[in-house]
Amino acid sequence: MIQVSHLSKSYGGRPAIRDLSFTVEDGQIYGLLGPNGAGKSTIMNILTGYLAPSAGEVKVAGYLLPEQAQLAKGCVGYLPEQPPLYPEMTVQEYLDFVAELKGVKKPQRREQVLRAARRTGLEQVLPRLIRSLSKGYRQRVGIAQALLGDPKLIILDEPTVGLDPAQVIEIRNLIRELGKAHTVILSSHILSEVQAVCSQVLILSKGRLVAVGAPEELGEKLNPGSRLRATVLGDGETVLAAVNAVPGICKVELEKEEQGEVTFTAESQDAVDRRGQVSRALSGAGCTVLALAAENKSLEEIFLALTEEAGDAPESQEHPKEEDDQ
Amino acid sequence: MNAIFKRELRSCFHGMIGYVLTAFMLVSTAIYFVALNLGYGLTDFGYYTLYRTIFMLLLYIPVLTMRSFAEERHSRTDQLLLTSPVPMWGIVLGKYFALCVIFAVPCVVDVAMILVLKVLGATAVSTAANFASLLCYYLMGCAAIAVGVFLSSLTENQIIAAISGVAALLLAYMMPSLRTMFTAGSAVALAVFTAIGAVLSVVAGLRSRSFTLGCLTFAGCCVALTALFLLQSSWLTEAFSAVLSALCLFTPFEDFVNSSFSIPTLVYYLTVAVLFLFFTAQGLEKRRWN
Repeated sequence: MIQVSHLSKSYGGRPAIRDLSFTVEDGQIYGLLGPNGAGKSTIMNILTGYLAPSAGEVKVAGYLLPEQAQLAKGCVGYLPEQPPLYPEMTVQEYLDFVAELKGVKKPQRREQVLRAARRTGLEQVLPRLIRSLSKGYRQRVGIAQALLGDPKLIILDEPTVGLDPAQVIEIRNLIRELGKAHTVILSSHILSEVQAVCSQVLILSKGRLVAVGAPEELGEKLNPGSRLRATVLGDGETVLAAVNAVPGICKVELEKEEQGEVTFTAESQDAVDRRGQVSRALSGAGCTVLALAAENKSLEEIFLALTEEAGDAPESQEHPKEEDDQ
Repeated sequence: MNAIFKRELRSCFHGMIGYVLTAFMLVSTAIYFVALNLGYGLTDFGYYTLYRTIFMLLLYIPVLTMRSFAEERHSRTDQLLLTSPVPMWGIVLGKYFALCVIFAVPCVVDVAMILVLKVLGATAVSTAANFASLLCYYLMGCAAIAVGVFLSSLTENQIIAAISGVAALLLAYMMPSLRTMFTAGSAVALAVFTAIGAVLSVVAGLRSRSFTLGCLTFAGCCVALTALFLLQSSWLTEAFSAVLSALCLFTPFEDFVNSSFSIPTLVYYLTVAVLFLFFTAQGLEKRRWN
């Protein structure tokens, strides 16, 4: 759906994103993750044709971006950071306007608007002025707007910012729903959100792409070492000694020992699965294994490690500007 | 483009602004119409009403156009327009035509006034002249709207857009009298052209980030101007006055007021409109490239 190669963008000499390359496959939900000022909004603005890249090549739905922007824009629905609403219009008028703007033919317009309103739960507020809507409803109008014209690609910039927890869950469900029929890209600085919704994550820091992959994959990529956690019936000392003796295991930590049950975590330096070896070693030592599971690092850990790593790099001293400071 | 046109038109009459502006224009025309055309029985609508309300356009047009792009940018709705599959010229023209239609409302009432004069006994010739000057008046207003739209696209502050619009139109309005101050001789022309050359060189230098290029441009300008000044100084003064007269936006209208139909005047107004709409589209496009 999207091919980006060596993309850079600078605002008046200040680099916002530097030499990014990635591809986005059809029919998945992608999360753009990064701290404030990492260049998330800038990337989205470039993908939607609002800004032109300073260097590099961007292809959206097979169309080269600054050159064939009009064709590419027809395939994209975009919710910017601040929903682009006209407060003096009613929701119905606004959605009609956007549908016409996106070139939806008149006979289908009514039905499309209704469908978008139904999907985002706006049917009740269609005759109301946008000015009088709450923040959550405005956000939904913004999402409904992005759905019009049945775009192949939907780009949502921080779709859940400023919503209450119930609304956040609703919007997340909606995004999951959208992911079935469309390719969705959303940006966020909330990790749990990305973990909950996205099947692929792009982690950005200071304008650079520091990691790409499924949330689970990323753990392995960052730290090839694996960790396993086990609960064993037996004596703490013998258990630890037996596990320590397994080749490749470098660190064993006792978590708790109660009524003969020992829970510990063992880490190894490489990504080889050592559950079998550990289990055999424990049986050999006369212990019964109750539970044995490989553990992945949480996205939180990965994120912090990656963004800190990028921050330490000497060449990325300046802070790239976020889109809103322009 | 259609969607933008309709929305712009509707938004102007959603709030007060469209009604207030139309009322303002109607009242000022009606005062001259009643006092001069009806009061003294004068049939020349162009001179006694339209020509005298030009001054009102200096306020009307900037207030009409100040919102067009500045407001979109301020409320970030430009992101919707610029990411929609509408070409840039569609966005600019959609907005421009909507503003032209709003300006047409008082002009339609002017048509009624001309018809009243006809009913009261104006000759067919003077009625035709009245209609011709109304046509020119409308095109003049449309050209001024293009200038206002351009200024509005430069800023996200409506007030600044309005004030710079008033300033630009006022400058154009006073240009005929300002021009007489500069006819002194080719020395003034040389000074002004040198200043323009200096500004161009600074811009060229900044754009290309090359000090040498800026200096070379300025040196080139200076050499060319000095050569012209020494060899053909009349060209300089002529070119200078031609530039100044092109800036007198409201003067060509006088041709029509004098009951003559002047194609160059109409072409001039259409050119001004096209030129400034082109600038608007280019300016918006450029912002995308930062």
